[in-house]
Formats: sequence, structure tokens, C-alpha cells
Amino acid sequence: MSLYGWLDKRYDLGPLVKFLQHKEVPVGAHSLFWYYLGGLTLFFFMVQVGSGALLLVYYQVGESTSYESIRFITTKVPFGWLVRSIHCWSAHLMIVSLVLHMLSTMLLKAYRAPRELTWVTGFALFAIALGFGFSGYLLPWNELAFFATAVGTDSVKAVPGVGEWLMQVMRGGPDVSGNTLYRFFALHVVILPLITFGVVGVHLLFIQKQGMAPPIGHVPSRGMKFFPDFAMRDVLLWLLCLMLLGSLAVFLPYGPHLPGVEWELGHKANPLAPAYPGIKPEWYFLWVYQLLKEFPPHIFGLEGPQGAVAVVSLLMAVWALVPWLDRRARRGEASPAFTDLGIAAVLFIAFLTLKAWDIGGGGAVQPDPNAVARACAIWILVAGFAATALRFALWRHTWFVFSAAALLHAALHGLFGVSYLPAGAIAALAAVAGATLTRPGPALAGEPK
Amino acid sequence: MTALLLALILAAPAPESFPEPIRPFLKAKAKDGTPVLSAQDVEKLAQMPERTRQLVAAAADNMILGSADHLRILLSLDLAPQGMEVVLQDNCILCHSDPGNVKPRVLFSPDPAKQGSNPLLDLREFVSDVHFRRGLSCSGCHGGTPKDESMVSEIGERWPKADDRHKDRSWIPDFCARCHADPSFMRGFNPTLPTDQLAKYRESKHGVLLLQQKDSHAAQCVSCHGVHGIRGPKSRKSTVNPQRIPDTCGSCHASPGHMAGYKTDAGAPMPVNQVAEYKASVHGQALLVKGDLGAPSCTGCHGSHAAMPPAVASVAQVCRRCHVINGQLFDGSKHKVAFESHTWPECGQCHGKHAIVRATDALVGDKPGTLCHDCHKSYAGNNAACDKTAASFRATLDELAAGRAEVAPREEELAEKGLDVEPLSRAVGELDEALVQTRTRVHSFDPGTFQQAAAPASDALAKARESIAAARGDYRFRQRGLFLAIGSIGLLALAIGLKVREVERRRNGR
Repeated sequence: MSLYGWLDKRYDLGPLVKFLQHKEVPVGAHSLFWYYLGGLTLFFFMVQVGSGALLLVYYQVGESTSYESIRFITTKVPFGWLVRSIHCWSAHLMIVSLVLHMLSTMLLKAYRAPRELTWVTGFALFAIALGFGFSGYLLPWNELAFFATAVGTDSVKAVPGVGEWLMQVMRGGPDVSGNTLYRFFALHVVILPLITFGVVGVHLLFIQKQGMAPPIGHVPSRGMKFFPDFAMRDVLLWLLCLMLLGSLAVFLPYGPHLPGVEWELGHKANPLAPAYPGIKPEWYFLWVYQLLKEFPPHIFGLEGPQGAVAVVSLLMAVWALVPWLDRRARRGEASPAFTDLGIAAVLFIAFLTLKAWDIGGGGAVQPDPNAVARACAIWILVAGFAATALRFALWRHTWFVFSAAALLHAALHGLFGVSYLPAGAIAALAAVAGATLTRPGPALAGEPK
Repeated sequence: MTALLLALILAAPAPESFPEPIRPFLKAKAKDGTPVLSAQDVEKLAQMPERTRQLVAAAADNMILGSADHLRILLSLDLAPQGMEVVLQDNCILCHSDPGNVKPRVLFSPDPAKQGSNPLLDLREFVSDVHFRRGLSCSGCHGGTPKDESMVSEIGERWPKADDRHKDRSWIPDFCARCHADPSFMRGFNPTLPTDQLAKYRESKHGVLLLQQKDSHAAQCVSCHGVHGIRGPKSRKSTVNPQRIPDTCGSCHASPGHMAGYKTDAGAPMPVNQVAEYKASVHGQALLVKGDLGAPSCTGCHGSHAAMPPAVASVAQVCRRCHVINGQLFDGSKHKVAFESHTWPECGQCHGKHAIVRATDALVGDKPGTLCHDCHKSYAGNNAACDKTAASFRATLDELAAGRAEVAPREEELAEKGLDVEPLSRAVGELDEALVQTRTRVHSFDPGTFQQAAAPASDALAKARESIAAARGDYRFRQRGLFLAIGSIGLLALAIGLKVREVERRRNGR
């Protein structure tokens, strides 16, 4: 008796095989590439689990052991350097892949009914991935990690009412200490993985149950068999990414040396040492970090950081609720406003990230903020106009109100010297006025809906 | 800013909450109609402890606190309550700080230049003075008591008459020593402070000039410590803080006018370039630029209260206080005897005095231009054995220095590749340590002693080179491993790619 027969006799594999044989991936006008991003994110997550488990063999959490054990792993353990480097690279690439996956879902309106909960579970996975990044950053217990965590956890104080309490819960006391390290370790290797397995399971279950979302207006004339056609392509992409990971780990073992994308161990954390200038969080938190800096100490009766946290929370809430806000997509109609909202979000976050990177600052420790704002605005305007031209040329997009508001924001702040928040308020008003006056019309011929 | 001022004005305490004698001051107006006491001044008054405020009221009631402007001056000193209470109970300070009561010539003010008074009468400096902070006020030196309500005759009697005391300053050391040479008195203020300053000063060059030769140009206590603003040496504002000592000494010793007529022990005119030379020297740079308080200033070699030029026989002993091993090695060398026969000042003969620069390997060698060669040519004639020693020292030092310059930069380069640089780092550390030892052993002028330090340096250099080779080998292994892995994974990917095409072709064919 074959193995399949042996298993089938015990577990009745027939329905599962039938399901896999009939499962298809929609093939439409859009590139099939977007459908690989979810699987790619899953691949990077599996690499994280595998490499993380290997690191756990030697990693010893503790104020007097964390730094030393990571140093031991990277210098003495055979292939320890490779495992750590792959763990770090894969973490960043997972976030990249996850963000692209979410963005493609946004632009293809794959969140629309009946897949609202798939979007919400995906959004939850995004938040969990950020939690993984934040908690894992402290574990080497080096200088950069210590101060970045001190700044990051301090910003939690801005949450109204419970901020101070929340910060103390995160830190395990008033300051970042060994208690914080133990908490973050537990979060990183036990709590978050357990939650992730659960949420990923639900996310995948929804996808298997409902299938992959075809673009709006797509007539399912033909589909690609998920198994083996799509699955083999998935594996092919994973193998290419594995080669990429290996190459990056060998040639750039400590990252590309950009602020927020580097993991050189440096010096051990010293809680008594003064913080040094230029401490920045990881790249995917840079926009929040910069937004905190843009707020004055007090605004509308709130502390500045409270204002920033309120804005970030509002934006995140809007993003999470997009499936319910986008009524056109729900009805299966083209929804150019939400397509433009996705582009505007990218421009908004990219502008803040470039500013946090001090692009145009000439490498100075305290760069001229006006020069930085100007250089970043120019980059964003160039990228924004190029994206707009491309959208019009390729897909005949004609509704650009939100992305134009994001560009107006960058131009007012960077080129005309208006402060960030007033410029943002003007741009937001312009966006509301523009959206009210120019109701997005039906899609043009050839426009993806 | 306007809102802040408005808030301060609105929050200002009501005049009724202050004792009666103070209230007129709160209402006093300047010529331009603005209040003499600002809202911040009133707030300072309100924040005072009740006892201090009562002392303000008492001084105002006695009219020794003469005006709102006088009160404003005292408040501008931002004294702690204890300091303010000392001021308010000292009639000398109160009278001499009231611009409406005394002439500018004897007025203590926070800004003497603006008031046209003597720069020494700086009220802000006075309340920072170490004596004032320990409770010693005007009467401690000038006589009288803080309670005197007028200038009693006793004031000034402790000092020689005005004309005499300016012409002949020799009374000052004894005057300060009344307290500073009395151990039982000084114990009550600072038990760790020595009380032998006067005894040392009498033996010093300055003391001999002033006390024996009655040369009042010679430095005495106030020349270095000042008056009315004297601070301990740990204060950066103190004229005797280690980093300010070169300028304090230089105020006389770098002044051609002041030093005119003075001679060195050898009878030559006293030079005035010592401070400039010192500031450019390795010691001056360490102390003044790097802030290394372990580096000597003028007093480090010459002494302070017992200051005098070190004699030829003792100058090397001064250097040995810090450069111990170099001194010991020199003492056991042939040069010790040779230098003594020439009455040369040991260290200073090669390294100089005030203008000592960082010693380099270029001093050593048998070629013209090196210190060894030039000195031996002038004083020791041709000596093949010495030349050989000098040449071998130089060759070894050059080889080690070049080796260090070759291996040290590799550390960062290899670390960037993610390689283990700990062995290299350790070897470079050992090399640095051994190189310092090797350079120090030059002072033995003995090949055997020199080699005892040079051999570990050579070993450390060899270890560093081995570490670099091992790290590079590790990197090549990583690259080969990667290419092998990429090749294997690539083959698998190719196989899957071919399978995808085959499945697609078969499906399309169907």
C-alpha cells in the first residue's frame, strides 16, 4: 500500500485533494506578481521562525548575557553570523513584502466584500510584524537598541489617561532595564509567534474559503490551477529569495548601512551613559518618529506627542476600516478615490521617512531642517508626478485629488517654508474640497477598477 | 513672551502680603515710570523664607537697605536664602552696595564698569568668594564688625597706611597667614588645606624677592589668588585652576615690561616666552586642549607657593614624578654618567623644557638629522658601536610602526564584512602596549634591554598578521559556500522552472 493510500484510509484525504485540484488563482489584466506577495511574506516569516529557533540555541537573555551571547553567536558559533544576518535581513524583507502585499490589496480593492475580514486579519498581521520588529530590536542589548527602545517606549506616554501606566507595563518599571529585556524577549519568542500562528491560520483559512480576489470587473474566463501551477511558481520565487538572502548575508552582513536598516552590534548598552545624537528607530517606524518631531510641545490643549499619536491612530483606523468606507468597491464599481488614497498614503509616509533620514542634510549631525525639507519635497514631487504620469499613461487614471494634496503638503512645507502641520492642514482642506467638488466619475476605458 | 509677562503680573503677590517696611519699595517707580522691582523680583521676594523676608524688612526699617534700587541689586545676585541672610546682617556689605549711600569709588556693584567703580569691587564676585561662602565677610580682613553702623576707627588699622601698603606689599603674606598658617583655626573651615604656604613662600624665588629684597613687583598671595573673588582651585573660574595657571603665571612672566631687569640664575635676561612655548608643548596641549588634568601646568614642575626654577641637578627628578620608568632606565644607562660629566639636565637635554613636543621615532638613529647622530658627532666622536645600536633601534621601531600602520586599519575593514576581529583587535592592543614599552626602553640605550620589549611587539605584530590571514580565509570560505549554495538552489530552481513550463505546455496542449 502506498503512503497516500495508507494516509487516505485513515484520514480520508479525498476532499482535500479535490479542493486542491479545483482551487484556482484568477488571471486578469493585472500582473500575476501581486498574488505572490502574500506567499512571499509567509516564506520570510518561516525563515524568521527557523533562524530564530537556531539563534535561541545560543542566545541567553539577560542584562549580563544578551549582548555577550549575540557576540558569541556572531564570532564563535559556526555559521552563527549567517543565521543572525539572515534573521535580520529576512525581518526587513518580510516587512517590505508585507507592505507591498497590503498595498497591492489596497490598489486592487481585494478588501471589498466579502473579504473584509481577510483585510482586517492582514492589518492585524501587519501590526504584529511591527511588534516583532520593535521587540526584537532590543534583544542584542546594545547601545543603539537600548536608546531606540527608550525613545520608542517613552512615546507610549502620549496615550491619554493610561500612557504612563502603559509605558511602565512595557518597560517593567520606570526605565528601560533588564525587566524590559525579559518582557520583550517573552513577547518576541512566545507571545507574538503564538498570536501570529493563530491570525495567519485564520487569514489563510479565509483565503482558502473565499479564494483569491479577482480585480473589479474581472470576468473569470480562466484561472491558473493553484496546485501545482501556482504553488510551483511560489516555490520558485521562494528559492530565488533564499539565494538573495544568502547573498545579502554574506556581502552585507550588517545591512545596507542606512539609518534604521543596520544591525551592527557596536557597544553594549550602558543605562548610565548619555544618549548620543542621531538615534533613530527602524525604517518602518521612521515616519511616526518624524511625525512626533513635527508636532510642537503643545497643540490644542494636548501635549505634542499626544497630538501625533492621535493623528497616527486616526490614520491607522481609517486604513483598517477601508473595506467599509469604500462603498463603491463594495458594490463592485470602480473606486478611483481609494486607489488615489493608497498612492497618497505612500507619498505621505515616504515624505516623512525621507525627512527622518535627513536627506539633503549633507551628513551633518544637526542638519539644516529647511534644506532637508526642501530636498525631500523635491524627491517626493518628482516621484509623485512620475507616478501620476504613469498612472494616466498606463491605466488612464484621472482622479488625483488625494495624491495631489500629499504633493501640495510636501511643496508647501519644503519649497515655501510653511510649517509641517499648517501645510498639512491646508493640504487636508484642499483634499476635502477637491473630493467634494470633483466626485470621481466612472472608470475610463481600459482603467483597472 | 507677552503672555508670560502677563501671567507673571496677574500671578504677582499682593503688596499687602509683604511686611510693612518693604511695601514702599514695591510701589517705587523709576524715572521713566516703570516699577523699579520687576514682577520676577517681587516673585523672588515672595519665595523667600519668612525669616529672610523679615531680615529684608528689618534692614529696610533701619534704612540701611536704602531704596528699591538697592533691593533690586541684592535680588539680582540670586543668592540662596543662607547667603542672602549673611548679606542682610552685614552692614558693611549693605552700605557699600547701596548706590545712593556711597561714592562710586567704594561702591560694590554687580557691574563695576557700568557704575564707574573699581573692578575689584564686583559684588557678584564677592558673594562667590570662598571666604564669604564660609562665613568670612568684610570685617574678617578689614576690621570692625558686621554690626557697626558707621566706619569705626579700627577699620584699616590692621593694614599699613594706604600709601605704604601699595608701595611695599611685603605685609600681605603675613596678613593672609594670620589664618592660613594657623592649623587650629583652619581646621574649623577646611581641615585638608595645608597651612605651610607661608613657610614655603618664604623659601620661594618670589618670597625671597619680596620679603628679603623688598621687591614689591614679586608675586604674593593676591597676585595669584586675587581679592574679593577668591575661589578654590577646583573652580574653573579660579585663577589657580590648573587650566588657568599658565595665564595666571603668564600675567607677569609673559610680560616684557614686568620682567624687565630680572635675570636667570645664569645671569641672562629672564625670557618671557615660556608660557607661549608651554601652550604649544605636549603638556600644554594635553592640559589646555584635551582637558587632561593629569598633565603638568607651571606649578606641576616649579611648585606653587615654593615656586622656583628647578636646578640642573633636580630637573630630571621633576620629570621622573610622572615619567618614572624612563627615569629608571636612564639612571642605569651609560648616558647618565656622560650627561653628568657635561652637567646636562638629563631629560631636558633631548626633550627641551617648556617647549617639549611629542617624542617621535625620528629622534633615534645613526643618520644626520637624528638626535643620537648629531649629539654623538658633536660630543662623542665616531663610535661604531653606538651607531649600530641607534641604527638597530630605529630599524626595529620603523618596522613595528609600519607594521602597526598596516594591520590596524584592517580591523574596521574586516569587521564591516562581518568577520571575527576580536583576535586582531587583541593583537593590535598587545602591539600598542609593547610598542610603548619598546619606545620607553630606548632610554636604556642598551640593545638587550630594548629587545626585551621589542620581541613581544614583533610577536604581537605576527599574531595580528595571522589574524588578518585567518579572517580573510574565513571570508573566502563564506564566498565559496555561498556560491555552492546558490549553485545548488539555482539547480533546484531551474528544475522547478522547467517543470512549470512542462506542466504549462502539457495543459495548453490538452
